[in-house]
Amino acid sequence: MGANNTVIELKGITKRYGYGDTESFALKDVDLTVKRGEFIMIMGPSGCGKTTLLNTIGLLDRATEGSYILNGENVAGISSRRQAKLRAKKIGFIFQDFNLIPDLPIIDNVALPLVYTGHSKTAQLKQASSALSRFHLQEREYYFPYQLSGGQQQRVAIARAIVSDPEIILADEPTGNLDSRSSHIVMEELKAIHEEGNTIIMVTHNPSLTTYATRVINMLDGQIDTDVKTVSDNNLPKPVEERKTRRRSHKRSGRKK
Amino acid sequence: MSIAIFKTHLRLAKTSIKENRTRSFLTCLGIAIGVACIILILSLMGSISRLVSNQVKGIGEDLIVVRPSTNRDTVTSVVAELTSSNAYQKSNLALSDVDTIKGVENVVAAAPIAVATGTVKTEKNTIDSVTLLGTTPSFIDIQPLSLKDGSFINDTFESNTAVVGHTMSLLLFNTNNPIGKTLTVQNERFVVVGVLREVEESINFNNVDFDNAVILNANALSKAVGGLQVQQINAKATNTDSLAEVSEKIKSSLIEAKAGDKNFEVFYGDKITHPASSLFTIVSGMLTMVAAVALVVGGIGVMNIMLVSVGERTHEIGIRKSVGASSRNILAQFMFEALILSMLGGLFGLVLGYVFAFFVSIATPFAPFISWQILAATFGTSLAVGVIFGIYPALKAASKNPIESLKHYR
Repeated sequence: MGANNTVIELKGITKRYGYGDTESFALKDVDLTVKRGEFIMIMGPSGCGKTTLLNTIGLLDRATEGSYILNGENVAGISSRRQAKLRAKKIGFIFQDFNLIPDLPIIDNVALPLVYTGHSKTAQLKQASSALSRFHLQEREYYFPYQLSGGQQQRVAIARAIVSDPEIILADEPTGNLDSRSSHIVMEELKAIHEEGNTIIMVTHNPSLTTYATRVINMLDGQIDTDVKTVSDNNLPKPVEERKTRRRSHKRSGRKK
Repeated sequence: MSIAIFKTHLRLAKTSIKENRTRSFLTCLGIAIGVACIILILSLMGSISRLVSNQVKGIGEDLIVVRPSTNRDTVTSVVAELTSSNAYQKSNLALSDVDTIKGVENVVAAAPIAVATGTVKTEKNTIDSVTLLGTTPSFIDIQPLSLKDGSFINDTFESNTAVVGHTMSLLLFNTNNPIGKTLTVQNERFVVVGVLREVEESINFNNVDFDNAVILNANALSKAVGGLQVQQINAKATNTDSLAEVSEKIKSSLIEAKAGDKNFEVFYGDKITHPASSLFTIVSGMLTMVAAVALVVGGIGVMNIMLVSVGERTHEIGIRKSVGASSRNILAQFMFEALILSMLGGLFGLVLGYVFAFFVSIATPFAPFISWQILAATFGTSLAVGVIFGIYPALKAASKNPIESLKHYR
């Protein structure tokens, strides 16, 4: 845990496509500092760079320029192999269209990030199972994604995002494909995760969801237009240290020697 | 790569192959046919070597064989041999070399094998292209041919004697008791003095099918056909311990007698396994080519299927990468799948190859032969095919951009 509680520090992040006359910017000189425990909603019109920003934070995409410090480590120029490792350990992704692997039962889908961190099969299943039970899906462990409703699939995806206990959870319009009832359930789950002290960055089109956020960022043409904090840094939920310690030790014992 | 990831890749490959059962089977079949050809060749070659070496053991471990060195390595020389009436175009050995070898210390007996083909006439029949084996009476001392009736050729009271093989006797004289009858080669008359018993193994180190041969005195045959090529000289040593020494001596005295001509080879023991059959060389060469073509085609099949699989699973690759799979993980996943496909093909080919070999063995004196070398060759070839043809699709999968892949739907 960093002394100043900063998880993400972006400075001058620029994403440029093309050169010369065809040059266009998806992101233009974005500065952003994210503290632990924040629930950030990024809003803005289509094509304003929300998703590119999210992908850059999630190490799926590389900025053309700028520095990115994740948990005190400069990750702007690291190898794609190291990026993959950090994605597996420190970042949880939730997508609009769930992105579950259709050929795998949901327990294996949830365990997917653990596969690439070298956990034993038993540890993978144990952790995936406990993540699923959190979302009341423990009875559906061996269902396949197509056998679940959209809301349930998204909850499976959320379980996958938190299974490796990441530093940040990134959600790209997680309710975009859901009806209002399922949206509400999913948002309540995210809220619960946030209240445990997790950092969440979410992209959305739906202004009514901003009530869940502690900070709302509006983007326009690849730049941050407005940035409003609705909760002061001091009132952010404190990490549930006890839970984390227990999980970490559990994880360590399950890891293959 | 940790064991857990290794196991996961294995499991993933299994699932993927199972899900696409038919196309996996067809892909494997391509590899299997190639591997089956290889197995067939190796199995038959192994069985021939074993057959000949068993014969040599049966004759006695004291056998030494002298052969002219031929450049049989090139395809043209093999083809030339096959298409000519003589088994060997040019031999550096001569009948006089037999006496040189006989003169070497510790050599009990030596006899030439000089094969010619010619027309044989009897009172009743005229047969073309008969194998005429010219040799000396000592031949029977070295290789105990079993006589059904009569005696072996001799040169004490009558030089133009002949011994006929079992089948040849029936062909020439319509009887299996032709002793005392005469046969004519060109204008030379020979008296039949003996008949051979039926020979079980038509493949042997002499490269002569005794059932279908007429054995004659070498000098008389030479006179009849006007010059003979000596294909081989068989010699017998006094005891087995000094074989190396004796064969060295044979070598040196032959070089001396032939004024420095070194174009011959001296074999003994297990080295006399060479079946000396050009037909066999041709057949195995053809099979090898078929195997190579089948393997390449099979490999292309693997590559094709893997490319389809990579295309179909682009979305999955995107998901895996976004949750933390590195390019290397993806590479390994698809590489494993290709390897397992080709290995299954190899295994299938192993079975198929022995089924082929079994059918071949019904019609021929070959027996299917298995050894660790054959298993290693199977394993090695299928592994190589898997790696060579699996690497490109796997690299393609690994290099996919995760963001683009996530947008990709079937």
